[in-house]
Amino acid sequence: MTPSPSNDNPFAGDNSGIQKRETAARWALRVGSYIVVLITLAIMLHIFTKGAPVAFQSKWPFVNTKFLTELPATLHVIEDQQGNHIETDVNGADAIKKQLGDNFRAEKTISYSGGGILGPIIGTALLVIVSVGVALFLGVACAIYLSEYAKHGKFLEMVRLAILNLAGVPSVVFGLFGLGAFVLTAPKFVSVVAERSVLAIPLGFTTLSFEGWDTCVLSGGFTLAFVILPVIITASEQCLQAVPQGFRETSMALGATRWQTIRYSVLPFATPGILTSSILGIARAAGETAPIMFTAALAFKDKLPWQKDMPPLPVDASIFAHWEQSVSRFLGIFTESVQALPYHIYTLAAKIPQNEYAERAQYGSVFVFLVLVASLAASSVMLRKRLRAKYRW
Amino acid sequence: MTAPLMTPAAASQSTPPPVVQVRDMDFSYGASVALHDINLSVEYHRVTALIGPSGCGKSTLLRCINRMNDRVTGARVTRGEVLVKGKNIHDADVDLTQLRKQVGMVFQKSNPFPKTIYENVAYGLRIHGEKNKSVLDEAVERSLTHAALWEDLKDRLHTSALALSGGQQQRLCIARAIATVPDVLLMDEPCSALDPISTLKIEELMHQLAKEFTVVIVTHNMQQAVRVSDYTAFLHLGKLVEFAPTEELFTNPRERLTESYLRGTFS
Repeated sequence: MTPSPSNDNPFAGDNSGIQKRETAARWALRVGSYIVVLITLAIMLHIFTKGAPVAFQSKWPFVNTKFLTELPATLHVIEDQQGNHIETDVNGADAIKKQLGDNFRAEKTISYSGGGILGPIIGTALLVIVSVGVALFLGVACAIYLSEYAKHGKFLEMVRLAILNLAGVPSVVFGLFGLGAFVLTAPKFVSVVAERSVLAIPLGFTTLSFEGWDTCVLSGGFTLAFVILPVIITASEQCLQAVPQGFRETSMALGATRWQTIRYSVLPFATPGILTSSILGIARAAGETAPIMFTAALAFKDKLPWQKDMPPLPVDASIFAHWEQSVSRFLGIFTESVQALPYHIYTLAAKIPQNEYAERAQYGSVFVFLVLVASLAASSVMLRKRLRAKYRW
Repeated sequence: MTAPLMTPAAASQSTPPPVVQVRDMDFSYGASVALHDINLSVEYHRVTALIGPSGCGKSTLLRCINRMNDRVTGARVTRGEVLVKGKNIHDADVDLTQLRKQVGMVFQKSNPFPKTIYENVAYGLRIHGEKNKSVLDEAVERSLTHAALWEDLKDRLHTSALALSGGQQQRLCIARAIATVPDVLLMDEPCSALDPISTLKIEELMHQLAKEFTVVIVTHNMQQAVRVSDYTAFLHLGKLVEFAPTEELFTNPRERLTESYLRGTFS
């Protein structure tokens, strides 16, 4: 039968439920995605509009250097009879009051909202350095063992399950673990054993005492390391597995030992991915509040970690004494408790009376915090791109 | 400095024992037997081809010679022995790294490291502790010359090996494998991923290589076995059906199974 030319569309849809359901499903999924994007944009925009004016200024050098280079301080706001508000710190308050004389009406003090946030920035940086250092060492070692050495079987499955479970532990539990393990019982060398020491092993010249490290950068860093460890292990293992098996076979067939193979023809090619995962770990470690609440962070500290008081050296002190003091000053950085950005934000948001001045400090801190984390993420992407170009296969 | 290569003249002064001897060997992956009762002798400076249908165990047999199967969980030789240069390679005092240095291997898929051409070839020597620049330079030039790549690549030794064509990459892998001057060179279907012209070049190369090394090649291509090999072993379902000089095996097979495989009447 020859097809008769007609106006009928042979491919016309039948307007059945199938097509309607298709349209409905597409729109439901689309709307869901849009909502996510919208919320993200709303958060970003809100923080940017409120926070950027605190961190930047319209005059040279365009960055609010005071906010970034000073320690947090109590803000004094002095009001005169005309209703003008003068902001100052504790040192300037008296002079301004004297100058105003009878014109003085009221003085308000707002905790932590003056000065800048240098202390929290430094503290977060130190915590991140320690935690990522520890987590990268342990995590990469663990990933290499799991990926390259461990025999496949029940045991390996259990280890994997344990790592997954570790990732699911609430961060406050990590905080309590850190309090118990690092703050109260971790071993250290002492000359005089503290009363709370769990176990003291005399070594002759010193004593190894399990009396904990107190709340300090080290305790907090180790605790955070365990928070990000599962992320780093899992990601590193995936990166190692992504290196073609052929590289390992070839290397072994040339007579390389297993470690030589890993060192020269697996690790170099997995490094870009491992670094990326570690930088994502940095973002996570920088953002966690609960694990450092008990282990490292203070609501307020008026000194930077290296500004510890030390007995002044005599004028004729030997170069060795100077050197020794510098080293102990450097090591002292890690045994000091610090302020940290997330905890500082928590303090500003929940621990002090709310007003426009406190709000300014809050948004400024959040904005700087977000910029720091975002630049870390961006640098990870760039680093990965550069290394990928070098070690592409 | 001259390379410590054994020349064919030196090798043929007396009839040396076979460089590889497989005796009554059974091999299994866990519970499944992959090779059964294998006997095979590989002579110095000859090309020996292993042919047979897919899954017959020819690659497994090849990987028994440098113990690459050790990497597979549960894989082991259950009976018999493998001797290389007269030494049982499963003896406790055999150092795997030394064995593999002297029994090189080229894989089916050309897999140069994402490093420079120079570093690829020098890899084997470096992991065996060679640091002397002039020794490395000399080995790289010699190996690339053997692999018929030196003239093409001598001006870009320090560029990425990944920029080479597929055929060149595979020849680079050959150069990398012979840089440590092995006695035996195992080749696992080295041309299966290459175009006909690259294949031809590697086949030509194999005749040259046989002057310096002993070559054992696995191939699924019977014409290739005819073209390159002196001896051919035909494997079927994990058993070595026939092992004879190539010409004899292809023109006058003793076994019915061999004959029907060569005629293509079974797959």
